[in-house]
Amino acid sequence: MSPALLAGIPTEAQKPTNKATAAKVAGPDKVTAVNPKGTPPPIQLIPMAPRLDTLDGKTVYLVDTGFHGSDVLLHQIEAWFSRNMPNVTTVFKRKAGPYAQDDPDLWKEIKAKGNAVIMAVGH
Amino acid sequence: MGIPSAPLVTRAFKDLAILNAAKRGMPHERICFTPHPVWGKTPEEVRVYVEGPDPVSGKPLMKEIVDALTVPLSDDEKKSGIVSVSVGPPTFTDTADNLQDFYLNNGYTDFLPIILPTEERVDAMMKGTSHKPDEVVGKMAAGAYPPWSYNVRQAAASAVMAGCRPEYFPIALAIASTGIASLFSSTNSFAFAMIVNGPIRDKLEFNYGIGALGPFAQPNATIGRCWTLMSKNLGNGGIPGDTYLGSLGNNLNYNNVVIAEHEDASPWVPFHVQRGFKKEENVVSLFRGLGVVPGQVARGSSANENVQFDYQMSDLFSTFTGFFGALIIADPLVAARLKEQGYDTKEKLFDWLYKNTTQTVKDYKSRNYAYLFEYPQALQGREPYATWYKLPDDAVIPHFPRPESFNIVVAGGQTNAYPQAGNLSYGVSVSIDKWM
Repeated sequence: MSPALLAGIPTEAQKPTNKATAAKVAGPDKVTAVNPKGTPPPIQLIPMAPRLDTLDGKTVYLVDTGFHGSDVLLHQIEAWFSRNMPNVTTVFKRKAGPYAQDDPDLWKEIKAKGNAVIMAVGH
Repeated sequence: MGIPSAPLVTRAFKDLAILNAAKRGMPHERICFTPHPVWGKTPEEVRVYVEGPDPVSGKPLMKEIVDALTVPLSDDEKKSGIVSVSVGPPTFTDTADNLQDFYLNNGYTDFLPIILPTEERVDAMMKGTSHKPDEVVGKMAAGAYPPWSYNVRQAAASAVMAGCRPEYFPIALAIASTGIASLFSSTNSFAFAMIVNGPIRDKLEFNYGIGALGPFAQPNATIGRCWTLMSKNLGNGGIPGDTYLGSLGNNLNYNNVVIAEHEDASPWVPFHVQRGFKKEENVVSLFRGLGVVPGQVARGSSANENVQFDYQMSDLFSTFTGFFGALIIADPLVAARLKEQGYDTKEKLFDWLYKNTTQTVKDYKSRNYAYLFEYPQALQGREPYATWYKLPDDAVIPHFPRPESFNIVVAGGQTNAYPQAGNLSYGVSVSIDKWM
């Protein structure tokens, strides 16, 4: 899917459904109406972080955003790593503040001490 | 951050997660999905999720997560640059009937018939303000997405569609200038309210008498509707599954709760004067929360004695979430009775309600909003939550965090002493005069 499509008016219900309507040919029975939509911001594409060759010997942070059940889910993922990939070190952290609040201190810690992140929202 | 990550989202929010990532610059983010919901599941039930498939891709969930962190990036995933976004041409030309269908089918309306925003009508609407058509009014975000911007002309189109008269337009612009959308992306199905104060209430013939909250006057009806149309059009809100996630939705979203204060019948200072404006200024104040309920159902509604409205309100508010405030909408008869009881200032009433609307710590901790929004603040040492979370379960604490959580506005026709109340918190008050 193209970024432009994703970023515009993306759902099926929002796509123009009558192309003839957008024609700019006025006739005796036709009227011209103003597009009421606001102006979306341009999208700055962000290159994704390079991936790891392997998780063996690496530290994976499990970040709980605070939604109900996120901690339960992440602890089960932690247990899965123990059973199936014991060479992976997992570190469970609850992000500070309500779920929508940024936590720059945790991001700094992960960058300094971690190799990858799994973040769970639950719900 | 520069660290590979695998976000994990429940299936119910698939579209939202993918679109949000795209709008924030990562259209190919490797999002992994679990079944929905996770909330309320036991560790054993969640283990089944973890050991089972990603319900979107069908692949084993943990393989999906490991791959998200280790499979090399594609060229698309490494892309940078700017992508511009179009919302179509500035105008549309067709027959009036076809345009009605077009606006409805493309999500520009509230699914009620609109006044078509023809160029002539939009030009006429803009005569209601001295501001230029291309002047930027503000920015509005539909939930977690980056905000959209808009100018006077774009706002005027929604005002026409809602049925506003040009003289109402400064109120619409004042609302738009706040950037507060009346359709919010939360799963909670929020409701919104506005209070209008100042001489403009009489000049535009707002109804603040009998049926003040009902469909009995053009400015009350259309300005409220305009707020929702502006939220859909200027901020791109109200797209189910994308920018709107309210599970049940909210009927109040059609035109919101519009309250013109009955200032002359109030025993207290008008709402906008409380907020630092002069009485002769025209001001609109905005609220957000969960909805409005009648006061008659609460205890204290005695058949044979004068109603104790303070106790009645306290009883009602004990069912509210303290996360939002409480807005009392008092008929003038209710306000007069409260003053007779000794509440000659609003602050005295708020102080009493704060001290007498209580809960146990055990009940408080069990509340959804406390866990989601206030417990994280308690962990950061913010009061009163930090103290509340340290108290024993049987300790009694206020139901609301501070006396300022309460507000009161006077409106109604004095046909009976019935209040209503909203689980609504105050947001902001802005000048209408600035937009004339």
